[in-house]
Parts: sequence; structure tokens; C-alpha cells
Amino acid sequence: METLKYLMETLNNLFLIIAEFIRGLFADPHSVWANLTMNVINFIIVVIIVVLAALILILLERKVAGWTSQRPGPNRLGPRGWFQTIADALKLMGKEDVTPAGADKFIFKIAPMIIFCLPMMTLAVIPYGRGMAPIDIDLGIFYFVAISSISTLCFLMAGWGSNNKYSLLGGMRAVAQMISYEIPLLFSLLGVVMITQSFNLGVIVEAQGTIPFIVLQPIAFVIFMIAGLAELNRAPFDLVEADQEVVAGPFTEYTGLRWGLFFLGEYGNMTAMSALAATVFLGGWQGPGFLPGYVWFFMKVGVMIFIMMWVRWTFPRIRIDHLMHLAWKVLLPLSIVNILLTGLGIYIYRFVMGG
Amino acid sequence: MFGKGLLQGLGITFKRMVGPNITEFYPEEKPNLPIRVRSSMGLEKDKCISCNMCAMACPNSVIKLTSEKNEANKKVLKTYHMDVGRCLFCGMCAEVCPTKALKVTQEFENAIYEPEDMQWDMIKRAERKGKVE
Repeated sequence: METLKYLMETLNNLFLIIAEFIRGLFADPHSVWANLTMNVINFIIVVIIVVLAALILILLERKVAGWTSQRPGPNRLGPRGWFQTIADALKLMGKEDVTPAGADKFIFKIAPMIIFCLPMMTLAVIPYGRGMAPIDIDLGIFYFVAISSISTLCFLMAGWGSNNKYSLLGGMRAVAQMISYEIPLLFSLLGVVMITQSFNLGVIVEAQGTIPFIVLQPIAFVIFMIAGLAELNRAPFDLVEADQEVVAGPFTEYTGLRWGLFFLGEYGNMTAMSALAATVFLGGWQGPGFLPGYVWFFMKVGVMIFIMMWVRWTFPRIRIDHLMHLAWKVLLPLSIVNILLTGLGIYIYRFVMGG
Repeated sequence: MFGKGLLQGLGITFKRMVGPNITEFYPEEKPNLPIRVRSSMGLEKDKCISCNMCAMACPNSVIKLTSEKNEANKKVLKTYHMDVGRCLFCGMCAEVCPTKALKVTQEFENAIYEPEDMQWDMIKRAERKGKVE
């Protein structure tokens, strides 16, 4: 029993032990060079997480789409088609890189690069386990939302740079939709921040040791899910890239690897949003002790991603005026009411407990 | 309740997700055709008595057969050709066949590259049946 507990403890802190070991290789474990090395390693790990997530999720998306419509999904390459993504990636790399003649070349080329950077920047502040945040900053949620809202700009840049009416339409839609849904998203997170009195994601996870915040903030969670889906431009809110209306929106003129970067960015952002939901509402790495914390964390992220895919392959696309109505007339008042109720609850709790 | 339909939809898709697939893996697994599918013809040369009734029953005069008499003064089939390009697969030939030598079969991979290949030599087809070309 003792050995089992010790083993569990070791597994739980496996990555911390490795990090300590690498630091120990330096003469002074906390010198500038040791910190720099650790930062580089953390960066590489985050990049690996983003790329791996994209590789797995692209296939999983198609598999879930298949299962939903009673098909097996891709089934040609590898066992039951699980190597399909590799073929897709190779195909993308083999394609010609076309830049339209009338395009604003600099903006056109830089937009996919920026959108691919965003998930790396956002995933860097997520605590993957106890003390396992690559960058532990006090304004975690604030930083996360600020960075993820840059993707609006990328869509507009791609739409404007392509010099194509459909791209521009898609870009304009992206701005309208993502800025509208940013507000309920922020307000839904605010309830949790009020309870924990902290923006630090590590502190928020620690506070969920007894009860995850989805129980205390169910309305906030639902609002966060809806607004998050809209933020990510996933169906039923995929008006930005609605094929039947605006061809492929901002992605219309992109080919080959640039388009692939958009795709990677999209799935990376999806992972980041799921990670934030898992951290803030589902208790992050907290969980029963028979599994290490990071396993719990990634399971929760997986569940969130599955729900997103499930929703995508169930619902038809929402109309653009309904989209705006939903944001401003339903979600925004609901989230404000939620904040009011949370504040009242905290006040009453303090009053009763005599704090 | 507002949003009830959304939940119902999610429930339906989840049921579909965990339920069985309805995909047919066609080239690997041959589909089970309905029993009344008529898509090809098969001839058993030994049963045929060269009565020419199939050729007469055919509405499009698809069938051409020749025969010769043997020592016992019985007709023996010599050639049996079908111009499948004109065949309806109505099955009347098989219906009138007194010895059930001609049958409607359910082979369906009859695609060909050249128009001449639509002239089926039924005796040759019967011989190579079950063999790889």
C-alpha cells in the first residue's frame, strides 16, 4: 500500500522530477541559463501538444462525423484508417502554394502564421498538472482571453488580403461574430473569478479540490460552451466559413501548407478553448487519486472536444441575424444575471459564515 | 422547455454514434442482393436441347443459337450468342426454357471497355464461370 502510494506520487510529479533533473545539470539550478533552457523545453512541449492535438483531432473529427451518420469514417490507411491524417498532411505539403495576383501579399502570407501562433501562446498558461503550467502568470485568464481574441484579426487579415469578395465577406462576419461572442465569454468566466478572487489558472484549479465549478456555475458553463463554439467558428456557428454562402470565407484563396496552417490553428484553438473549459469549470487536473493529474486533465479536455464535435455534427448552421440576437439578447443578459447571482451568493455566504 | 429540441437532437445523434454502421464495404464484401434482381444470364450447356424457344421468346431477338445433329439424331448445341447490349433482362427466355438450361443470375459486375464485348458467347462464359480471367 505504501509503495503504491509512493508510486502514485512519483507518477503524479513525473514531469516535475524530470524538470528538476534538467535544472540540476546546471551549476546553479536557478541561473539565467537554466531558466532559458527550461523555457525552451516548455515551448517545445507546447508546440508538440498543439501539433499532436491537431493531428489526432483532424482524424477524430472525420471519425465522429462518420459515426454520427452511421458510417465508419476514413477506413483505408492503416488499422481502421487511423493513419489517414498522415496522408492528408503529405497531400497538403505536396500542393502548389498559390498567392492571388491582386492579393495584399504581406498580409495574405502573415495571417496563417499568426493564427498558428495563438494556440501555442494560449496553451502555455494552462496548468497541465500540479505545478505543471509552462508559464505560471497571475493574469492567466486575462492573458488567455486577450490572446485568443487576436484570432479575429487573423480572419480579417486573411479576408482582406485575399482580395476576394467572399473572403472579405467571411472576414467581416468573423469580426462581427467573434467580437459579439467575446463579451458573454468573458462574463461567464467572471463568475469563477469572483468566487476564487484570482485570475491565476493554477489557483482556480486548486480551489476546485472539493467541488468543480460546473456545479456552482452551471449557467456560466453553458454560456461559456456556446460562446466558445462561436469564438472558434465551429458549427453551428461556422458562418465565417459557411461553404454554401461564402465559399470558404477567409480561406477561399489559400492553398497547400498555408491552408494547412489555418487548419492547425483552428484545431489548436479548439484544444486551447477545451483546456480552458476543463481548467475553469471541470476542475483541471483535480480528480480521484488513482490516476495522475495530467491524465485527468487530458481526459477532461478530450470530453470537452468530443462534446464540441458532437454538437457540430448534430445542429444545422444558425442564421446570421439569429446569431446576433443570441449573443446580445440572450447570452449577454443571462451572463450578467449570473454575475449578479454569484455576487449575491458570495455576499450571503460571507454573511452567514460571518466572514 | 426552451432548447428541448436541441437536447433531443443530441440524443438522436448519440444513439446513431453508438449504434451499428450501415455502410456496405462493397469491393471487399459483396452485397446481398434482393432475390428478384435480374442482372445476368447463365447457361448450362449440357442441359440445353437446342429447341430455340428462348430465341423465339426474346422480345429484342438478343439470342442467336446454332446446333447440329449427332449420331443419335439429337440436336447438340454448337454456338450460343447473346447481344447483351439489347437485352432487357426480362427473363422471358429463362421462363420458357423447358429444361431450365438458361437461368437468370445475379452477377452484376458486367462493366466492359469495348462495345464488341457486349456480344456474349454463353458457352465460353459458362466454362470460365468461377475462374479468374
